[in-house]
Amino acid sequence: MPSKLQLHLARVFLKIFLRDRQSIFFSLFFPIIFMTVFGFVNDGEQNAIKIGIVNNSNSAAAMDFTQLLIDDPLFNVSPGEEAQLRDELVEGDQTMVLVLPETFVAQNEGSELRLLVDAAQVQQLGLIMPVLQQALISIEREFRSIEPMFTLAVEDVKARSQRYLDFLLPGLMAFTLMQLSIAGSGFNIVEFRRKGILKRLFVTPIQPRDFISAIVMARMTIVLIQLSVLIAFAVLMLDVRILGNFAAFYFVIMLGTFIFLCLGFCLGSIAKTQQAVMAVGNIIIFPQIFLSGVFYPIDSMPELIQPIARILPLSFVSTAMREIANSGASLLSIAPSLLGIGVWFVVAFVLATRLFVWKEVAN
Amino acid sequence: MAIIEVKNLAKQYPLPDNKSESFFAVDGISLAIEEGEIFGILGPNGAGKTTTLEMLEGLTDIDGGTAFIDGIDVSKEPYKVKEIIGVQLQANEYFDNLSLLELLTLFAALYSREVDAEDLLDKVNLLEKARAKPGNLSGGQKQRFSIACALVNDPKVLFLDEPTTGLDPQAKRNLWDLVLELNKSGMTIVLTTHNMEEAEILCQRIAIMDHGKVVAEDTPQNLILQHAAEPPTAPLHGNIEDVFLALTGHGLRD
Repeated sequence: MPSKLQLHLARVFLKIFLRDRQSIFFSLFFPIIFMTVFGFVNDGEQNAIKIGIVNNSNSAAAMDFTQLLIDDPLFNVSPGEEAQLRDELVEGDQTMVLVLPETFVAQNEGSELRLLVDAAQVQQLGLIMPVLQQALISIEREFRSIEPMFTLAVEDVKARSQRYLDFLLPGLMAFTLMQLSIAGSGFNIVEFRRKGILKRLFVTPIQPRDFISAIVMARMTIVLIQLSVLIAFAVLMLDVRILGNFAAFYFVIMLGTFIFLCLGFCLGSIAKTQQAVMAVGNIIIFPQIFLSGVFYPIDSMPELIQPIARILPLSFVSTAMREIANSGASLLSIAPSLLGIGVWFVVAFVLATRLFVWKEVAN
Repeated sequence: MAIIEVKNLAKQYPLPDNKSESFFAVDGISLAIEEGEIFGILGPNGAGKTTTLEMLEGLTDIDGGTAFIDGIDVSKEPYKVKEIIGVQLQANEYFDNLSLLELLTLFAALYSREVDAEDLLDKVNLLEKARAKPGNLSGGQKQRFSIACALVNDPKVLFLDEPTTGLDPQAKRNLWDLVLELNKSGMTIVLTTHNMEEAEILCQRIAIMDHGKVVAEDTPQNLILQHAAEPPTAPLHGNIEDVFLALTGHGLRD
């Protein structure tokens, strides 16, 4: 339990941090933009495939064919001249260009349609070609008045559709809390040292553990406020759903914040200048951005890296948060993640108090 | 009775341009500072004044010798010593976002104490600045505020490291008055300075340091009688600056 002294100091530091409104505000800027962009780009709907069509035939069949393609919601069709559409394809404004030959007669003998593609988009083509084939088959059926042998009756069971944003949000929260926490403690320590404030504190009888606890409590309050704003924004504006227990979600957030605040302290104790703290901070932060399953699941990483990726502190935190938010998991069912978090909790706190030696950090 | 007893105090640092070799920043000094006196430590830059203070304050490890403050061994019980000393450092920046009142309350909390912050500010003549931020104070006000911070624990010994460096004459006189007033209430004060006039006016006794050693230690009057350049035809010819230059030479220091 925090002592009276620690609580008092925490209140003072909270006051100091809260008065720095600019940095509190601007640190929210990036995550909000990020979420908004992903919210709009990935709103679950497939974008129509942009296809240019060059009609070299004047036959009624060719006109009908074009019209049927235009009516298909899967395609965004722009008719035009071949030369111009070719240019657009090269520019990337068209995904493909379909050229109807002069002898476009659909009666019984097949006609060859030329398809111009940009090889740079080969991957996309793999997905698009079957769609185009399918469209051609159904147009053909219509021309020949053939009833399809099979139809699929799709029935929506109203299972919760998971958008990428739903997947992303818990990871993004975990990532944001890591950044805010490491910056919040590490950068502060270096700044306090530069100003000689640490030295001044060191000539008073304050113990390192009281100082660290107070800063951690104060900064945690700030980070919790910041994350609450982000979560409120995601839920209210972007319609992100958090399925699990809110208290459990925050419990994990608090543990995670504590871990990264302590790691930030280690950082501030090791790195002596603002430049050094940036460099060392990036060594801690960057691998975790890519390896902790924040933006894509750890399962999809190379097998060799997976064991390492899984034991990173951010992996445990983001996995736990994701399971609560996306699958509605209870604290009991995410016990393995919590165990990992617990180990990091102890390791980070011990490291922080060991590395933060007044004589070393103050001078 | 001596409140500060220093015997053969030494501090070793690696040479700046050759890390494998070291030199003595403080080289076996001994001092006895009496309770209730103002004791001045003079010396050119790099003589070891600040290092000596930092060892007494517990900021720097003691490499050799012993130091006792009020009977407490500084190297064995630094936290006990910190309870009874007040310290004003050369750098005096504070948290930007707190007012003077709030800062004093914070410093008191670091000693697990409560203080009448307004009363303290009044003592150093800063009451009208109570709600100002330290960044908005003038040089003299900053130094007076530093002293107020050093007083929150009602210390037995007050350490001042070059308290008047960079102050204008008015602010300097004002600070001297404050130091004399604090001393009158019985507080022992140890200060370092480059200002000879300051040493002469404030200090009951002076130690002059050079190259990590104490080269002279006495009352200002005695030092002038012994070391001032001209033979004393009249009592107290010359001043402490003459003494200082006679003892440490005219060579420029960095």
